[in-house]
Amino acid sequence: MSAWLEIKDLHAKVGDKPILNGLSLTINAGETHVIMGPNGSGKSTLSNVLCGNPHYEVTGGSVEFKGQNLLEMSVEERARAGIFLAFQSPTELPGVSMSTFMKYALNARRKAAGEKELDAVSFMKRIKIRAQALDITDEMLKRPVNVGFSGGEKKRLEIFQMAVLEPDFCILDEMDSGMDVDAVKVAGSGVQIMRSPERSFLVISHNTKFLREQIKPDHVHILALGQVVAEGGAELMDEIDRNGFAGFLKEAVA
Amino acid sequence: MVEEISKITQLTIETGKTAVFVEKQLSDKAEIVIEAGARVKHYRLHENAEHALSVKIGRGASYEVVTLHKGNGDLTLSFDLAGEEAFCRSDVVYLLGGEEKSLISSDVRHNADNTVSRQLVKGAVTGKAFATFEGGVLIPYERKKIDGAQQHRAILLSPDATVKAVPRLEIYADDVKCAHGSAIGSLNQDQLYYLMTRGIDEADARALLTRAFLDEVFDSIEEDDVREDFRRLAVFEK
Repeated sequence: MSAWLEIKDLHAKVGDKPILNGLSLTINAGETHVIMGPNGSGKSTLSNVLCGNPHYEVTGGSVEFKGQNLLEMSVEERARAGIFLAFQSPTELPGVSMSTFMKYALNARRKAAGEKELDAVSFMKRIKIRAQALDITDEMLKRPVNVGFSGGEKKRLEIFQMAVLEPDFCILDEMDSGMDVDAVKVAGSGVQIMRSPERSFLVISHNTKFLREQIKPDHVHILALGQVVAEGGAELMDEIDRNGFAGFLKEAVA
Repeated sequence: MVEEISKITQLTIETGKTAVFVEKQLSDKAEIVIEAGARVKHYRLHENAEHALSVKIGRGASYEVVTLHKGNGDLTLSFDLAGEEAFCRSDVVYLLGGEEKSLISSDVRHNADNTVSRQLVKGAVTGKAFATFEGGVLIPYERKKIDGAQQHRAILLSPDATVKAVPRLEIYADDVKCAHGSAIGSLNQDQLYYLMTRGIDEADARALLTRAFLDEVFDSIEEDDVREDFRRLAVFEK
């Protein structure tokens, strides 16, 4: 197994405020990792930094993705290299339908790879199969992206995009928030179907029930004050269920 | 049935007639009269020239016009709601780039009772271009049951592009519903970022969001061929 994503001593800030303070993390091909931690510990900052959000400034450390220096790549280059973020609060795109959005996204990858654009039939086929598996109707694909959808529908549409784009590294930021039990199951089964030896997951969540039942992680990391303060297997979630993050926070301060 | 027509100078649509025109070449000046009860849709492409359109709309008549304006040259629009229960929709999409400069001015005059006007003007301006929109709505003294709406929205696609909006509402009557607004801004950074996290490069993301912004006007065109034609034409030349 080779390292898919290797984060070393990463520092990042928003404005003048340091959020990540020497975070290190290694994820290998095919693994599913979970990041947990109290609010403000840097979980969402990490996902945004990995995607290249210009709002966040990296001030130190390195990130390698499949041997490439990720921090030198633009947002769209990272996406084409296989990084995908399922947003905690997906952005509305008035006037842009989901099918147009996905057509642009797929063709952007093909163009960068020197391939010709997908023809209409292959495109529709790719879209339809994945939409059906995630209970997404034709009407939802025609409507403007994320406009007027419920929280759960938006999250399902994020998983749908992930299924269409077939990334190598998927970050799911609070995917279970705002979803009812059934929607979580549909989304969770979408993640299960996509697990493969060539694809890794980084899942940010507070919900240990969701993580145990739907995600079944290989590794759990506890984040506090912008650092990883504990690492282990799924058993770390039992400790959090019993005692919360208090014990881990002490270690971060010490 | 969509009729292709060019360089209208004077035209009268007779009482009760229905017509749909596409006009891709404009004269310097056009005067149109819509007689009582006639219903007209008029789609126009205005490019790099001075042009003035003046339309008189009769009793119970309906005139809907969509103008796509590109490049230099001033566009002067004038609508006279002359008969009771006349209706006028006068939407404009404008695109300016490079060093282009244009004044788009519109006057909607509610000269009869129970008249309704709607206007949606949307612009995309890039390079060092300079666009001015002057939107006038006049509702004279003692007019009754007037309903007017005017919205202007523009996006600046470069730091050196300029849009100036000058609304001119002259409302002298009381029995009036008149909504208007103008907003000028840049593309939404969160939307650009979201598109780029899916692998779309910045230029394509900007084009896609600009397209979506302008489509609000084109989406109201019911004739499929005309709508697609205008959408195809409403792009910046590369």
